[in-house]
Amino acid sequence: MVGLVIVSHSAQIALGVKELAGQMADRGLKIVEAGGMPDGSLGTDTLRIHEAIVEADSGQGVVVLVDLGSAVLSAKTALELLEPSTARRAQIADAPLVEGSISAAVEASIGGSLAEVVAAAEAARGILKL
Amino acid sequence: MVEARVVLTNKLGLHARSAAMLTKVAAKFESVVHLYGASKSANVKSVLMVMALGVTKGAELTITAHGPDEAACLAALTDLIANNFYEE
Repeated sequence: MVGLVIVSHSAQIALGVKELAGQMADRGLKIVEAGGMPDGSLGTDTLRIHEAIVEADSGQGVVVLVDLGSAVLSAKTALELLEPSTARRAQIADAPLVEGSISAAVEASIGGSLAEVVAAAEAARGILKL
Repeated sequence: MVEARVVLTNKLGLHARSAAMLTKVAAKFESVVHLYGASKSANVKSVLMVMALGVTKGAELTITAHGPDEAACLAALTDLIANNFYEE
């Protein structure tokens, strides 16, 4: 199953998104949160994201969902730190964090491929709320 | 194409978990599946579209399935809804 990494400036947002997406996913789905800085302040930590990607990877790939601005930069740097074999199957989704994570979690649960899970996350951009 | 009318009787309507269950069941079939609410429709294989329907308890919905396994697909989905998503 493709794993997910939830990156947010806030540890609590990352945990909350993990909880919500996890409720909709199968138990076998690995969702690893990487929120906040090691000292508990707001921010995104490249090393923490890197560790989360390694933890979420079970061989089928990892989709990284990010919140704002520098989260994207930190996630890109984390991907560069990966072993080439892992890096080939890790991808950042260009998607809103909450909706994208939920959509990705369900798609990964039904056995979607890396490309399908990324596509499901990115489909969240087109969903209107009203 | 086959279709069925259903009434949502579970307590919470199509909330996150029940929407995910519908999508996961629909994904087991090849058929194209749609859900029609009062004013919107959704591709059931997209959990976000199902959730965006904003359907609550008591709502009447139409499910359609079109494809080689449409009858079994429709039966599985109506069974899930009739059993209140096994949540109560």
